[in-house]
Amino acid sequence: MKINNIRNFCIIAHIDHGKSTLADRLLEHTGSLQNREMQAQVLDSMDLERERGITIKSHAVRMEYKAADGETYILNLVDTPGHVDFAYEVSRTLAAVEGALLLVDASQGVEAQTISNLYQAVDNDLTILPVINKIDLPGAEVDRVKRQVIDLLGCEEEEILMASAKNGIGIEEILEAVLERVPCPEGDQDAPLEALIFDSHFDSYRGVVALMRIFNGQIDEKTKIKFMATDTNYEVEELGHLLLKRIRSKKLHPGEVGYLICGAKNVRDIKVGDTVTNVAQPVEKPMAGYRQVKPMVYAGIYPIETAEFENLRTALEKLVLNDASLHYEPETSSALGFGFRCGFLGLLHMEIVQERLDREFDQTIIVTTPNVVYRVLTTDGVEHYIDNPSKMPAPGSIDRIEEPYIDAHMITPPEYIGNIMKLATEKRGILKNQSYIDPTRADLHYHLPLAEVVFDFYDRLKSVTRGYASLDYEFLGYQHSKLVKLDIFINGEVLDALSVIVHHERAYDQGRALCQKLRKLIPRQMFEVIIQAGIGNKIIARESVKALRKNVLAKCYGGDISRKRKLLEKQKEGKKRMKQVGRVEIPQEAFLAVLSADD
Amino acid sequence: MAEPAGLYVHIPFCQEKCEYCDFYSITKLDQIQQFVDAVLKEIQLRAPNFQDTTFSTIFWGGGTPSLLSHEQISAIWQTLHDHYSIASDGEFSIETNPGTLSPDKLQHIRESGFNRLSMGVQSFNPEELKSLGRIHSVEEVLINFENARTAGFNNINIDLMTAFPGISETSFRHSLDVATGLSPEHISCYTLIFEPNTILYKRMQLGEVSPLSEDEEAKYYLLAADVLGKHGYVQYEVSNFAKGEARTCRHNLIYWRHHPYIGFGPSAHSFYDNRRFSNKRSLMYYIRSLNDGQLPIDFSEELSADDLKFEYIFLNLRLREGVSLKEFQYRFASDLLEEHQQTIERLLADNLLQVQDDHLRLTESGWMIADTVAAHF
Repeated sequence: MKINNIRNFCIIAHIDHGKSTLADRLLEHTGSLQNREMQAQVLDSMDLERERGITIKSHAVRMEYKAADGETYILNLVDTPGHVDFAYEVSRTLAAVEGALLLVDASQGVEAQTISNLYQAVDNDLTILPVINKIDLPGAEVDRVKRQVIDLLGCEEEEILMASAKNGIGIEEILEAVLERVPCPEGDQDAPLEALIFDSHFDSYRGVVALMRIFNGQIDEKTKIKFMATDTNYEVEELGHLLLKRIRSKKLHPGEVGYLICGAKNVRDIKVGDTVTNVAQPVEKPMAGYRQVKPMVYAGIYPIETAEFENLRTALEKLVLNDASLHYEPETSSALGFGFRCGFLGLLHMEIVQERLDREFDQTIIVTTPNVVYRVLTTDGVEHYIDNPSKMPAPGSIDRIEEPYIDAHMITPPEYIGNIMKLATEKRGILKNQSYIDPTRADLHYHLPLAEVVFDFYDRLKSVTRGYASLDYEFLGYQHSKLVKLDIFINGEVLDALSVIVHHERAYDQGRALCQKLRKLIPRQMFEVIIQAGIGNKIIARESVKALRKNVLAKCYGGDISRKRKLLEKQKEGKKRMKQVGRVEIPQEAFLAVLSADD
Repeated sequence: MAEPAGLYVHIPFCQEKCEYCDFYSITKLDQIQQFVDAVLKEIQLRAPNFQDTTFSTIFWGGGTPSLLSHEQISAIWQTLHDHYSIASDGEFSIETNPGTLSPDKLQHIRESGFNRLSMGVQSFNPEELKSLGRIHSVEEVLINFENARTAGFNNINIDLMTAFPGISETSFRHSLDVATGLSPEHISCYTLIFEPNTILYKRMQLGEVSPLSEDEEAKYYLLAADVLGKHGYVQYEVSNFAKGEARTCRHNLIYWRHHPYIGFGPSAHSFYDNRRFSNKRSLMYYIRSLNDGQLPIDFSEELSADDLKFEYIFLNLRLREGVSLKEFQYRFASDLLEEHQQTIERLLADNLLQVQDDHLRLTESGWMIADTVAAHF
């Protein structure tokens, strides 16, 4: 296949704007798969992804398309994750392609996530093909959305493609436009091997399967290769292209997208963003853009049944095989027993891990309140990095506590500036600068504590700006803050898993809110449950859950004892999903109460 | 003495449906005869499997068994006796709606052989009867209670309901006072349950009506126990009160003590040989199956040893008497106190359970949360 006949592209879209459906149609139209072998939304292969309608990990698929000009083209569609937690993966995917379909819903219009990914695509010099989707829905406002797209891209109206992926409208036009407008890749077959890893996953039979884009040079089976960031060498075992399954191929050429298997046993060995080169004839330096992904948020994961600890360990071991961004190490909690401290990219990532442990590994777990990593200087001059509030040194020995800050840019239509400022102030943000990119878009530059951002900031930002604002940030450094540790006591015993680090001015409000929330979440028990919040030895809030008064069903349903037994068994099941702390049974949700204490 | 065993007949007809009731019954009274023909077939069809058992109780429930005509009552009664071995000193109960009774009907029921009459009264306040959707009046209860005595019933139960929306302490006291004034041998007092698939439940979902709080429910429950206790009724089960051991409901005790019983009629349940099975909850299906000579089976499950033990425990815990440790040992070849040592020790320490006279039973405080206690096993 000539390099001129290859096109590599991705789809940028907001959740629900129809990305997966469009991908399905493109596959169908190019005959890459038969209707009947198709489950809707084939690219999202994890159940969880399909259910949530978000793409968690990127995937790639190769289509052969016989175009109107009579030539056959190779189209590589690379799918991208759609959430801020996975921003880095998105950036690496964008680096692997030349073009992007910007998919906008005809009734919803342009949304924040679309914009921030679009800017990244533009930064990567991608050719953007705007597509307005769902044009045949009753609520479609094609003209309004067209104007938005034109404003956003500065393109001509004629450049905008019209489609209804659901009903197969405009699919041919999109394919032809990709051929016509997306530049073909460039590369030198004789140069040293230079390939970019943009995704990897674990296959139980073959080990790590990496997805890569070849920029220069060639790669054969048996080639001795080097991963530059990890400085590890392997020999290629198998290469090929991705249809819906792997199609083996002896050699890959510049411009191509394909997979690589080399006997690596852990996704950690092959990092997204790394450069693959030839050991015998290496490139001088790796491609730009590689970054070591560090967890932003930590939380404890504990089995409900203490005896399940080893099973949880096995489950985590298997889980990290295809989730390189999850970190974990054993820890103990006086309330919860043995568990793991886990590091996540963000809260969505945390929720996904929790659900995967539940569904794929059948682990019933407690996830504790997430937190960022604090830098604590003790009076003896020692520096500590604290990823677990219960490990905070005693107040008397602390010289100062520092927390991570981020340098954030929020881009928004001017009418939402007031709302964003209010939100940022509430989140202890410091306005550094306010400027205008053009009359319709303002750039608010803030310094914000990471702890305030990782929880619900992104969702709140979207809600106060009706989805129009985008958020981009990078780590700024540690800064001194007046922080205190807030402890929760249940019937007089501290429940370390519920301890949180909060700003001292908010401690009282948060302590009260947390106690109230817990009072609602903890069911009535056979005795009264006292919930208290305290700083050090000082109690600042108190609530109580009254003892269970009556729980006995009046009747036994005539002779239908099975029904009665099932009701009681359900109660038993419910008990199993609660954590026994001392004598108190605490439901899983209570351990995340702090996240929603503001409700 | 042989193990007690019971026969149950479900009569799935009511003049009108009460909003709260989730037992299977329909209001198409013109189908009663077809039902009777079918139930006679079922009684005969099942008989060969139970020839070794002598049944000590018969219970007709519903629905409203008292809607049947004299002939229909006699036909079912006779068929049961023709095909099953039934103890001559048995307890033979029938549920009735006071609005469907007359001296003549009561006379006939008594003469058929029934020796225990249960009246679905629910309340002695006219406005409450109306809001519960009952068809009878307070007067009809009073008159028919006397008629039942006249007909020769010396074992009568009155069903009362409590903790329903709109009840007050005054109105409930009044109901209890009138009920005890009549001096029936047995009173069942049920706390209202909002059951899924009832109109009442729908109305709750629509926000038209809401259940009483747990504390309110507890108040009415304790009030019933207190008033009935003072009038000499023993609370021998969570919702059941009797004037002494001899007046407890032997048929219901079969359920709670895990003895076998066979149910006839749509939705009726059976328990025999460690197996639970039930009939379909549809009269149409029921009639069609039996016309084809088939049993209208809905489900059937073989209970595991753990299921049996768990049932045995939670059912017997509902009784004042509690779980007999000796019988547990005899049935399951296992020492209950050892098998659940940790759980029982904790519940004993919490004063929810007690061990007395070779029985494990609930304490006064455990009684109120019997389901929570049972869920520990």
